[in-house]
Amino acid sequence: MEYDNDAGAISARVLDAGEMNAHFLVDNFNLETANALRRVMLAEIPTIAIDIVEVLDNTTVLADEFIAHRLGLIPLSAKGVEELQYSRDCDCEGYCELCSVVLTLNARCNSDQIMHVHARDLVISAGRPNEEVGNPVLKDPERNGPCIVKLRKGQAIHMRCIAKKGIAKEHAKWAPSAAIGFEYDPNNKLKHLDYWYEADAQAEWPKDEAHANLDGDVADGEPFDYDAKPEKFFYNVETVGGLDPDQIVHQGIAVLQKKLAEIISVVQGDDNVDGFGGAQSPQMNGGYGNDAGYTTPYGNNTVWGGGGGGPAGGSTTPFGATPYGGGY
Amino acid sequence: MAPAATSTEWSTDFDTARRQRLFQSPPKDTTAYPMLAAAVDPHIESFNSIFARKGLLDEGIKDIGTKVFLDGDPYAQPEETGPRNRLHVRIREVFFDKAVLPATNKFALQNRNVFPAECRERHATYKGKYRARIDWRVNNGDWQEEVRDLGYVPIMLKSNRCHLENLTPDQLVKAKEETEELGGYFIVNGIEKLIRMLLVNRRNYPMAIKRGAFTNRGPGYTPYGIVIRCVRRDQTSQTNALHYLSDGNVNLRFSWRKAEYLVPAMMVLKALVETNDREIFEGVVGAAGSPGLGEKQFVTDRVELLLRTYRVYGIHSKAKTRAYLGEKFKVILQVPEDMTDEDAGTEFLRRIVLPHLGSYDVTESQNNDKFRMLLFMVRKLYALVEGECAVDNPDAVQHQEVLLGGHLYGMILKERLDEWLNSLRLPLMEWGRKNDWPAFTSPQFQRDFLPKIMKRTNENIGQAMEYFLSTGNLVSPTGLDLQQTAGFCVVAEKINFYRFISHFRMVHRGAFFAQLKTTTVRKLLPESWGFLCPVHTPDGSPCGLLNHFAHKCKIATESVDVSAIPGLVAQLGVQSRSSASLDASVVVQLDGRVLGFCSPKQAKIVGDTLRYWKVEGTHGVPLELEVGYIPNSNGGQYPGLYMFSQSARMYRPVKYLPLDRLDYVGPFEQPFMSIACTNPEIVSGDSTHVEYDPTNLLSILANMTPFSDHNQSPRNMYQCQMGKQSMGTPGTALRYRTDNKTYRLQTGQTPVVRPPLHNEYGLDNFPNGTNAVVAVISYTGYDMDDAMILNKSSHERGFGHGTIYKTKICDLEEGTRKSRSARLVSKLFGFPPGGLVRAAWREKLDDDGLPRIGTALQAGDIIAAWHTVSYDPASNEYVNRDLQTQFFKYKEDELAFVEEVRIIGSEDGTSPCQKISIKLRVPRSPVIGDKFSSRHGQKGVCSQKWPAIDMPFSESGIQPDVIINPHAFPSRMTIGMFVESLAGKAGALHGIPQDSTPFRFDEQNTATDFFGHQLMKAGYNYYGNEPMYSGITGQEFAADIYLGVVYYQRLRHMVNDKYQVRTTGPVNQLTGQPIKGRKKGGGIRVGEMERDALLAHGTAFLLQDRLMNCSDYMKAPICRACGSFLSTQPTVSEFDRKKKGNTMVRCRRCAKLAEGSESTSEIWMDGQGVRYTGGDDVAVVAVPGVLKYLDVELASMGVRLKFNVSP
Repeated sequence: MEYDNDAGAISARVLDAGEMNAHFLVDNFNLETANALRRVMLAEIPTIAIDIVEVLDNTTVLADEFIAHRLGLIPLSAKGVEELQYSRDCDCEGYCELCSVVLTLNARCNSDQIMHVHARDLVISAGRPNEEVGNPVLKDPERNGPCIVKLRKGQAIHMRCIAKKGIAKEHAKWAPSAAIGFEYDPNNKLKHLDYWYEADAQAEWPKDEAHANLDGDVADGEPFDYDAKPEKFFYNVETVGGLDPDQIVHQGIAVLQKKLAEIISVVQGDDNVDGFGGAQSPQMNGGYGNDAGYTTPYGNNTVWGGGGGGPAGGSTTPFGATPYGGGY
Repeated sequence: MAPAATSTEWSTDFDTARRQRLFQSPPKDTTAYPMLAAAVDPHIESFNSIFARKGLLDEGIKDIGTKVFLDGDPYAQPEETGPRNRLHVRIREVFFDKAVLPATNKFALQNRNVFPAECRERHATYKGKYRARIDWRVNNGDWQEEVRDLGYVPIMLKSNRCHLENLTPDQLVKAKEETEELGGYFIVNGIEKLIRMLLVNRRNYPMAIKRGAFTNRGPGYTPYGIVIRCVRRDQTSQTNALHYLSDGNVNLRFSWRKAEYLVPAMMVLKALVETNDREIFEGVVGAAGSPGLGEKQFVTDRVELLLRTYRVYGIHSKAKTRAYLGEKFKVILQVPEDMTDEDAGTEFLRRIVLPHLGSYDVTESQNNDKFRMLLFMVRKLYALVEGECAVDNPDAVQHQEVLLGGHLYGMILKERLDEWLNSLRLPLMEWGRKNDWPAFTSPQFQRDFLPKIMKRTNENIGQAMEYFLSTGNLVSPTGLDLQQTAGFCVVAEKINFYRFISHFRMVHRGAFFAQLKTTTVRKLLPESWGFLCPVHTPDGSPCGLLNHFAHKCKIATESVDVSAIPGLVAQLGVQSRSSASLDASVVVQLDGRVLGFCSPKQAKIVGDTLRYWKVEGTHGVPLELEVGYIPNSNGGQYPGLYMFSQSARMYRPVKYLPLDRLDYVGPFEQPFMSIACTNPEIVSGDSTHVEYDPTNLLSILANMTPFSDHNQSPRNMYQCQMGKQSMGTPGTALRYRTDNKTYRLQTGQTPVVRPPLHNEYGLDNFPNGTNAVVAVISYTGYDMDDAMILNKSSHERGFGHGTIYKTKICDLEEGTRKSRSARLVSKLFGFPPGGLVRAAWREKLDDDGLPRIGTALQAGDIIAAWHTVSYDPASNEYVNRDLQTQFFKYKEDELAFVEEVRIIGSEDGTSPCQKISIKLRVPRSPVIGDKFSSRHGQKGVCSQKWPAIDMPFSESGIQPDVIINPHAFPSRMTIGMFVESLAGKAGALHGIPQDSTPFRFDEQNTATDFFGHQLMKAGYNYYGNEPMYSGITGQEFAADIYLGVVYYQRLRHMVNDKYQVRTTGPVNQLTGQPIKGRKKGGGIRVGEMERDALLAHGTAFLLQDRLMNCSDYMKAPICRACGSFLSTQPTVSEFDRKKKGNTMVRCRRCAKLAEGSESTSEIWMDGQGVRYTGGDDVAVVAVPGVLKYLDVELASMGVRLKFNVSP
């Protein structure tokens, strides 16, 4: 993965890679970009997750919205998700084959045994861009995937789940990675961190020997370089299953590049690009009203009546005119 | 072979699989959590004792005895009527059935039992039929018997009248209950109510009291008194008090039917037994020739005076004294008119004087006991006055016992029965008056007694009991010797399980004490150790009055067998003669009965021997006996050996060292015992006992606060409050409950850090919070001032997600008088047959006109349809005629889903459905402004939900779920929270539960060291700190951050229930000012203090805006000439009445009647058509609306306000 052996070029080195995680080191990097890459990998890589659930039948003990929430959090394979459109960019109304994958959950328990409904039981309807995207991720030895709900005799669940493309900025269910290990300067040469200690910081703080050795030891008597900047960054990317860890890194770089490119083109005044490129939350299209906490979960309708009406008019209130009328 | 018995041993382990198994197949033998069941035992067992064989009610019936009524005209002259016939009425026995369907219901054939779950769902009362068999006879005829229905009395769950008694968890589940259904409460109109325990004075112990109010009894009364609360065998009580008068006399005071009476104590003494002055003298002072008699000048003087002053009455024999008393008290005792005075006097002694020593069939020896006890009380009174002994503190738990719910219930039942028999008097009179006073021996009486006379009495005792439970008000002619008449019952709220279980361990000091200005009654006294939890009391007005029992404290619910004690005590050298000096002889008492006297040294030996025997279980000394040896002291508590064996006592387990066995210790004996707290604290030769565990002094809830010994104590109190307010899991049988409002946390977890008791009480069945990764850091400023930041991604993954269940009842008969007949039904649910059904209606409603399960509801949506009907007798059907559909609507502003719909039929099954109950589910995911707290009294409000990428993170990429500010700690000193964080982190890393029992660590062996080493083993910093990076810049923080795992509770206070906003809105009709109240869309008052603040800031415009423009701003016309608001009036145009606007306003006061010569432009007309001229100097000014109102009010009193208007 080394592009250039020159001293100033960015280089990466894989320390450990597996099916679930990638542990690597990037050298000659800068903190701003390194963190930007971390943030992008956490929140801006498009993946796929169940976004709309149409409840056809639910006689389980769990409430509709509770199961819908569980379904949303089930990791689906995001391989080939780039062939899918964002639903908001699609010409269809609601959803279509171009912008969504439909999974159906249909189970009924007829035996006396308690029946477990797993992610495996999500059946994908035909008509998706490729054979990979939208598959439930099954990593356990029995290849069942997460348990969604348990059914007792006579209970049934039938739900149509529409999985859409999205990013974790909007909802955590689209996160390709739940947590990304990030570290620089394990030996604290830059003194960004002022260790708290009782007697001796060296003795009291645990040391990550592997990282510390890779970063180079502090030579005794070496003067403190207050201009020094962090250059080596340790990443540990762990996937939730939808994307391979290396894919997450590749995608992260790609998304970051795209974002930067768009900024450059906007700054340079290139007319070809619309100002809202890149990943964004579907809020721009409306549709999702309720978020973040600064809006109430009741939409913008205040308790006191007509949403959107607002205090227009002044003289009339939702309760009708004041007894004093519109001005004496 | 039978399956192995359910294990009841628990450790601190998670035991996930075991709990899962317990849930999937509930035990078929016993509960796995016996500690939990034991927590409510006092309630259930006290209820059981009412109806047990020889129970409280049986005793009560004996105490009520036989009532006698006389026939004939009571106002007639005796010579006219001749001898009057006597009607005897008595209750032989009472029957209390289990809850079954009424006989009118012809539909249920197989199982007619009514189970509690049904009553909850149906909003009905869980009650059983109550009947009494009465006997009656006239004169000496044969007894005739009759069983009378006394209505339906509410049944306590899991009591011996409940279907759930002794059910296994498996059967309980089938009865639609929790596996660990505790019982101990009643269901009244679908609401769970329980009778709260009450602290009352210890029974049968004469307490020395000094109270200023005693002097109000009359001239000569001093503040000194001896008060004894005598409890009869049916648990009703009668307080007797001795008052010391300044001349040395002693009077007995008692209350009877809420009136107070005073009797010379000498008179009572003389009436009790045939005695003489010498016996009384020696009984009070001490035997003649006994040591110390010479120093007893104070007492001898007074006893002499006592005897001397009594001579003025000139009553000498026992019979004469009784007759004297009987004559005086005959009327108030309600004895039959033909009873002799002496018998009435005997009745007086039986019922009122020290009834704990015999209240029915009183024998000579019992009267002798009363005599000796009264002498002892006089003796203690003189000792108190002399300063030989100190006053007893009635606020100390030493002199208190518990009034149990069941006992109170039994008392009321007994009193109701008594009143019922007494109430026969009026119908009897009425009957006599109407029928010209026939004799009871006449056949007419024989015919009329039951159907006419008995029927006229109020036999519905069940209704009275239901009223008592649903309101908590005690309607009683006697007051039951209690200090309050209201507030006995509380709702057993199931907000979460902590709150629910706390209700049963709750004990109140009494509503009377809540009004006291002094705080002495609220003080935490050392005597309470091990009985009342020092931590678990609310702050605010009920602080110290509303206590909770320590979790190991038990309450005796029945008397133990102490028949062997008097003999044993006599063998150990206790004799009946006493000496004058306390140094020579002290009293030995058993349940308020004087057994004898012995030397203090001997008393200690007796006490120690009895204790040894009781722990050993030999000589017939029961383990639960309380042996209170009070040593001689210099003016301390009055010495003696006092033993208590009866119910309502608190007691708790400790280890008796000489035998290394379990002993029970009561609050009376505890202050004079040496009980070591821990094994190392045992002092050889002094300590007799040692605590099993120091945590035994804490309540169930206080024990759940992890490492509470590291916290500042008020914080533990706060946690006890907040634990009860958190959104948790109220129960597992939620489907069969219809509470008005229930809170539920969807993502509850078992805490990583918890004491073993958490498992023993089965609290994992009811999770109450979530383990959260908590960073203590000041980040972005949104965590200032007890705010906390949530991780938005955690929230999106379900952190703290909760639900509220609300039940709405749609009642077609609401507001109308309950029509008994099915034919009078005028409304039915559903769409009218043949009527139009719009598609829009069918979006929410099903075919039957009831909402579909799972439907989302917004404000204003319809939830049920109904139509009017009338009964058509020809076809026996209900016919709708107008084809109109009407609806019940969902009125609240929040999104809700229909969870369950219940159709509630009538109990007898004859009339059509008139009531449905709809359970709604309101999802409440955490929003900014919701309240959370850790288990250490550290509450905070969510102020921001930051996206995960902006949250700080550790090197391994862990982001906190919750960020709290470090400033939350220095002033509050909740070190326990730090320790929990440390322990939680280590536990999470190693996958182990952590024992958080308080008092396990000490200075040598610290908690931080223990958990620090666990952290080191996992490769983390010993102190729990970690380097962290800013999520926004990626830069490492200059400080390492304290990061750990803390169990967080989501509290039920949510902004969505509280936010208030108003621009314009409803105003008060009279003043024009905005109304208050969130529900009505009102405003928040800018009060005096707010006004002061605005004034101080000089923000005049803001002040005007708040107090005038946004309040009662009005434009009012005022006459500049006369300065009056009230005399201005709009003019009426002569030609065009309808013309609006441009109406002129003129002052009527300044105007003159038009003479006709003025120009028309100057003339104006009022509503009557009277023409005026002038009065045109009117201006319109802006004033507060209330100013004009004030003017009107003053004018009505003849005061005129004159305003100077300028310019």
